[in-house]
Order: sequence, then C-alpha cells, then structure tokens
Amino acid sequence: MMPRHQASGFSNGYPREKTFDLSPHSFQPRTSIAAQRQRKRLFIRLGIVFFVVILITLWVWPKSAFASVLSLGLLGASSELELETVRYYDLTNVQGTARGWEREERILLCVPLRDAEPHLSMFFSHLRNFTYPHHLIDLAFLVSDSKDRTLEVLSDNLEQIQADADPKQPYGEVSIIEKDFGQEVNQDVESRHGFAAQASRRKLMAKARNWLLSAALRPYHSWVYWRDVDVETAPFTILEDLMRHNKDVISSKSNNSADVWRPLPDWLGGEQPYDLNSWQESETALALADTLDEDAVIVEGYAEYATWRPHLAYLRDPYGDPDMEMEIDGVGGVSILAKAKVFRTGVHFPAFSFQKHAETEGFGKMAKRMKYSVVGLPHYVIWHLYEPSVDDIKHMEEMEQERIAREKEEEEKKAKAAKLKEEFGDGADTWEQDKQELKELKDKAAEEEKRRVKEEKAKVAQLKQNTNKEKPATKDEKATTNQGKPKAKQEKSQAKQEESEVDDEKPATNKGKSKAKQEESEADVEKPRANREKPKASRQKPKPKKEKLAGAEAEDDNVVAGDSEKKRLAE
Amino acid sequence: MARPMGSVRLKKANPLTLLLGAVLCVFILFFLISPSSSSSSSSKTRVVVDSARHHLSPPTSPYRKPKSDAAVELGPPPVTRYNLNNVTITADPIGNQEHVLILTPMARFYQEYWDNLLKLSYPHGLITLGFILPKSKEGNAATALLQQQIQKTQKQGPEKDRFKSIIILRQDFEPSLSSQDESERHKMVNQKARREDMSKARNSLLFTTLGPATSWVLWLDSDIVETPPSLIQDLAGYSKPVIVANCFQKYYDAETKSMAERPYDFNSWQDSDVAQKLGASMGPDDILLEGYAEMATYRLLMAYMATNPSEKDTVVPLDGVGGTALLVRADVHRDGAMFPPFAFYHLIETEGFAKMAKRLGWQPYGLPNYKVYHYNE
Repeated sequence: MMPRHQASGFSNGYPREKTFDLSPHSFQPRTSIAAQRQRKRLFIRLGIVFFVVILITLWVWPKSAFASVLSLGLLGASSELELETVRYYDLTNVQGTARGWEREERILLCVPLRDAEPHLSMFFSHLRNFTYPHHLIDLAFLVSDSKDRTLEVLSDNLEQIQADADPKQPYGEVSIIEKDFGQEVNQDVESRHGFAAQASRRKLMAKARNWLLSAALRPYHSWVYWRDVDVETAPFTILEDLMRHNKDVISSKSNNSADVWRPLPDWLGGEQPYDLNSWQESETALALADTLDEDAVIVEGYAEYATWRPHLAYLRDPYGDPDMEMEIDGVGGVSILAKAKVFRTGVHFPAFSFQKHAETEGFGKMAKRMKYSVVGLPHYVIWHLYEPSVDDIKHMEEMEQERIAREKEEEEKKAKAAKLKEEFGDGADTWEQDKQELKELKDKAAEEEKRRVKEEKAKVAQLKQNTNKEKPATKDEKATTNQGKPKAKQEKSQAKQEESEVDDEKPATNKGKSKAKQEESEADVEKPRANREKPKASRQKPKPKKEKLAGAEAEDDNVVAGDSEKKRLAE
Repeated sequence: MARPMGSVRLKKANPLTLLLGAVLCVFILFFLISPSSSSSSSSKTRVVVDSARHHLSPPTSPYRKPKSDAAVELGPPPVTRYNLNNVTITADPIGNQEHVLILTPMARFYQEYWDNLLKLSYPHGLITLGFILPKSKEGNAATALLQQQIQKTQKQGPEKDRFKSIIILRQDFEPSLSSQDESERHKMVNQKARREDMSKARNSLLFTTLGPATSWVLWLDSDIVETPPSLIQDLAGYSKPVIVANCFQKYYDAETKSMAERPYDFNSWQDSDVAQKLGASMGPDDILLEGYAEMATYRLLMAYMATNPSEKDTVVPLDGVGGTALLVRADVHRDGAMFPPFAFYHLIETEGFAKMAKRLGWQPYGLPNYKVYHYNE
C-alpha cells in the first residue's frame, strides 16, 4: 500500500519546504464518547489525589513498611529487618601478642571508681595521651557507692572525648556501670590502709573488680588493662611497653605489673613506695599462711604480719633497666596488663581468702595456680598521687608548730636587737667607716688576681677543645641504661635532661605531649622508635619534680604543689 | 487501525470486574505490607528496649546491623550507662522481665537438645543463648549443625520462637582428649584433664557473655534432651542462689522390656567425713572424684535421693553440684564464683564451683525430684 500522508512525500508533485505539517492530514472522528471522557478525567483526578496522599504519607512517615514496599525496598524500614541476633567469635583470634597494635588487638581498660571526682581530670588527661590506637581500647568504669559527682563528671568527660573532632581521640565501646555494694568502710587513707579494715575492704574491692570485669569483658578482647584513677604520672606508651614483654622475655602467658612510687616531701626521704602488693613469695610468709585461719587475709606492709617478702616497690633503682622483669606472686592493682585469656579461663580477684590472700594479691596467686606467668617490672615506674597519711599529717602539724615557734623566737630576737641599738646609740658608725675602706683595698687586689686566672683558663680551654670533641658528657653515660643505643638518641635524651633542668617550672608532661604529637605527625615508620624513647623521657621526668619538692621549704606547701601539678597536667 | 484499543476494552469493562480487581489489589498490597509491619510493631518495642546501635555492645543483646553504605559514617560508639542496681533477681522472673542466659559447652550437636530448647516456655525474647565449641573436626561438624538450626529458628521461624540473641564461641585451646565417646570420657585417668578443659570452656563462655543485663544463668549441657518446658521459671521460683535439677537417663531395660530411667549425674552431693579425710591426705593437685569404685567417698548423692515424683518441691542443701541443668543467680558469678580449672579444695569444675560459691557466702541447693534427662548413646 502506498503511503498517503508522508511528511516527506509529495502531495502535488513538488517538495514542500518547511511548512508546519500534522499527520494524518485527514479528519478523524473522536475515539471516545463524552461519558467515557468524563470517566477518564475522573480517574485521572482520583489518581492525582491518590498520588498526593502517598507523597504526604511518605513525607510524614518516611520509615513505614508501606514505603519500603512501594519503593521496592529502596526506602523505609530496613534497619529493623537487619537486626542481628547471632554473633560468632573465634577465641583463637584474640590470644594477645607482643605487637597488638599491629594486629588490631582490642584492650579492655577497667577502672573501678569510688568518690573519685577530684582525680578524674587528671585521669582524662592521661586518657587523651595514650599512644595505643584509641579505637582499639574499650573503656569500662564501675562507679560504686559514690557520694560526690563522680558519675556526672565521668560521663560528661566521656561524652566529650567520644565527640572529639580529632578522629584519633574517640575510644571504642564505653560503658559506665553503676553498682552500690553498701560499703561502710571510709575511703580516706587511714581507714583505707588501717590493718583492721584491710581484709573486708579488700574483699569488697575484689567484688567490685569482678563485677566490672564480668559486665565488660567481651569475646573480642585480647588484653585487659587495670588502672587506678589516681595515678599521677605514667608513660603514655605504657600499654605498648607492657605488652611488648610478651614477646621479648616471657613465653605466651604473662602478667605485667608496673610498680608504683609516689613523690614525697623531703622529710620522708624524697619518695616512698606506695604499692606494697607486688611481691615474691617468701618461706616465712608461706609458713605464716599455714598457721592462719581459713578466712584470714594476709596484707602486706603491716607489722602485724611480718612476711619478709621481697617487694617490687623496694627494688627500684632510678637508673635500672626499665625492661627488667621479675617473677612475682602477688600483684598490685595500680596498673596491671593481662591477657584477656587469663580472665576468660577464670582467674579473677578473689573476694574470699584464696591461699590467705584476696583481691589483686589473690589474683596473682590464682594466676600462678593456673600456671600463668606473673611478672613485675621493678624499674618501670609510674607515680601515684601523694596523699598524706594521718601520721604524715601529724608530722606536718608538729613541723608547722615548730616553724611558728622559731619565727616567734626570731621576732623576739630582732626586737631585742632593736632595743639594744636604741639604748646604746650609733657608736658603731666609726667602725663601719673603717671597715669600708679596708674592703675596698681588698677588692682591688682580688680583681687583679681574677684577671690573671681567667687568662690562664682560656689557654687551657683551647687545648682541651681538641681532645674533648668525641667524648660525650659523663652524665649521659650514667643516664642511658642501654649501652647499645644509637648516639643520636643519647644526645636527644641529654638535650631533654638539660631542658628539664633549665626550666623546672614548665610541666614535664606537657613537654612530652607536644613531643608525642610531633612524632605522631611524622611517618608511621618512626613510631616504634618513638615509642621506645618516650617512656624514657617520662621516667626522667620525676627527677626535677623531686628536686622541686625537696626545695620547697614549707612542708604544707607540698599538698598545694601536688594540686597545681595536677592542674597543669589537666591543661 | 482506525479503532483504538481503548474504546474496545472500555466497552467490555464490567464494573464488577473492576471492583474485583480493586479488591484484589488491596488484598495483595495488604499481604505485602502486613507481615513486616506486624513484626516490626512487636520488634519495635524490643528494639527500643535492648537492641544496641553499635556492634561493640554486650553480646546479650542484638544490634542493628548498619547498612553497607552507612558503615563508613558510623561514628564512635556511644557512652552507655548500665545501672546494675536495677537488675532484679527474683522468684518471679517472667513478671519482672528478667533476662536469662543459657550457656552450653557443646562438643556434639543433638537435634533433641535444640527441640527441647525451643519448647521452653520462658519468653524467648528474654533468653540469650551462649555456646562454646572446640576447634576440632567434631566441633566443626557440631557448629555447622548448630548454625543451621539457629538460621532456621532466628530467620524463618515464628517470631515467638526466636531468641533474643545467640553467641557462638570457638575454644582457644586444644582439647586434651581426642575422643568424645562416653567410655573414653568417663575413664578415671582422663577425668582431671577433661574436666580442666571443661572448666576453662565454661569460664570462657561465662565471662565473655555475662554482660550487664543478665539476671540468671542457666547451665544446660548439650546432651540434655528432655526437661520440663517451665524449667527456668520452676528453678528460679525457689529463689536459691545456686540450684540444680536431678539428671537422669532414660534407657531400654532388657529385663522388663520397657523404658526405664536411671540416675546419671553424680556430681551433686552432700559432703562426708570420709571424703574430707581423703582430701586431707591428698597432694595439693589431686582431686576427689565421684562415681568411681576405686575412690569410695561415702558422700550423700542427690542422684539417689530421688523419692516420690510428686514431691517435686523437696529442696536439699548441697556441697557439690553437677552442671547438667544448673540455675545460678548472675550475682554469684559476678562476685567471682567460677569453675576452677585446678584442684580447689580437691574439687574441680562444677564441684569446685559449688565450693567457691560457698566460700563467697552463697549456699547451693538441689532438687532431687525435679528431673531432667540425659541423652542415651
């Protein structure tokens, strides 16, 4: 059939040019009658209304199941459909190794708290500085029987850290656990460490620790780190430092416990071991244990039970090798890193008398019983906050009174002298004049002498310079513990030491912080080396502080000094 | 060509047909939407109550899986507060909506065990299951079977059968015994090593799954194939810190030609002086065992205390407990009571657990006439 109405065709033999053209050209009757058209319009209107209604419902309830059906699952309530109820964990993947940060091993950091509000700011400054990847650390706090604002301050601080703009700051799972045990024991130093209260107090502490652990330990944890909130100074790399021991010296099972010292006022000899719970078992103690009642608990550091055990705390040598290990039987709770495996297989803090020990000491005993190696690092030092005991406070009061008496005496003396002067007039004036003249003569002679000595010295120095070039300062040799360390590091530590000596006022930790930041920004390859260095720096830190404390004359200043130190740390 | 299809179809259109079509459409839409909406309405309340936003959360609760594209923007986990003072442990666990953790160390999977589990009448939405399986060939097979059943129940099963959350752990130590056969397992020389492993498995399972919300822990062995459906409520109803049911085994008695039952678990007992003295003469690492003729302890065994089945409520204090069907207040475990994998007062595993609970001030009890049944090989 021939096409009749082609736009491209010829209607009269000539091609048409650019004329508007509708096809078909012929008249065609309407295909629908009026009633149908009306119905169609009605349908269209209904359709529009329906569409609008759906749009509105989608807008109002964007997550309804209806929406997900209409949009073929693109919109709406898929989150509930993806509720995950089954979890599968292989515990062989979370054994804990020496280089956990490379294998992304998760650490559970446990902190038992009780009326700890004043220590929290200091604790959080430590928390922010940990060099172990934060997202691999899960935090668990147990707040028990607190009467101050511990809970509020804690959760505020934690919210802040989790919302931090720096992606390296937020931690992993953060849980705050509240549980009151109804402890009647007072938390101040005297009642805390008084002999009579020890056994029941330690048992309650043990319970608190167990509750915390059992609520917070998960199948994905490789390590568990216990930390007291009132630690004042500790290396930022402490987690890596303790973890590293796993590979180097101990086989695969280990506990590490850093020992704890606290800086003290001068009259107590500068420092005093705080944590006496880390010790090696002694024959005397074993014999003593046999004589005791089943429920008795041996506590260290009290004259009532003389155990003659070698304590980690007393073994400290300021220049000792921080990596040195020592087998111990009892563990102190201030800073313990343990493999999660140890806790998984059942070792806990006995809240009963386990082989005559409770809490952390019982923990050490039980770990040993289950053939795990328990190791302490006698030269790896962290500093506990100094809190004066009642005896100390008494001593302070006595000294204060002495001081007042002395001042009074001096004042009286002065008054006397003044009186004498008044009474006997200025007969001393002529004497003074003569004295002045004599002195001038003497000074002249001395100056001459000095000039001569100086010239000589310059000569000697010139000679010395040539020989002295290779020799490092003797002081440094003493300070560096590892002989095989590269020279660059030695110089670095020297520089740091000098720096810290020059300006005692500058807080040591701030310095470390800025340094840590700086190193962080450097290439990752640098990190292990940096890690090795930092603890060393911080170990040297306490030194200037000690001097400062020693320098402080008024004894009651020490408490204040501690406070200001804390504030600076918080900054 | 000249007559478009529209008019043809409209001409034939019957209002009745149209109506039918519309009804059908509504019907289909309704069924498309209804199953998901009805489940979401019930699970929505559940979601609000105890599902976690992040996968770093207590495994005793489910969590909402982030969509694959949303995983990137998932921020750090939130700070979560758990008030353990509000975790109630009462004699009326259903009324107080108390969460129960059922823990099972598993070496072999028995279908009867799973079927029995599904029959428990305690609200499944309050039950979390925890399993630990060895990493042996047998363990792999059991895991596969277990996962199959879990899939069936949690994904396809009816809503009321689904458990709140399920945790599967694989052991991190080699089983010291290669064979799980009954004869091999029960040899006296093998007992200590076997039960040390069991203890470690139990502890690993317990301390990683306990979490902050659990009120009760039910230890149920994987070879327990028959229990009363109300097991949890019944045991909790006695409001004892540690309570154990009596474990029996059904067998075919060749003499009477009928099914009969015999006591199976001998680990629940009251102590005797003989056993005490025997213990005192032992080395620190030796353990006392029950049910072996070589070691007569003369302890009072709960297995033989069963009297009249109608006196179900008889409660007896015990010094040692078995782990076949053992209900423990979560407090007891939180205080530190665990299954010692070493000789603790010459006791090990569940018996040592009873001793440790006692040392912590919790007295274990037993129900001699309340029976659960062990699988018969």
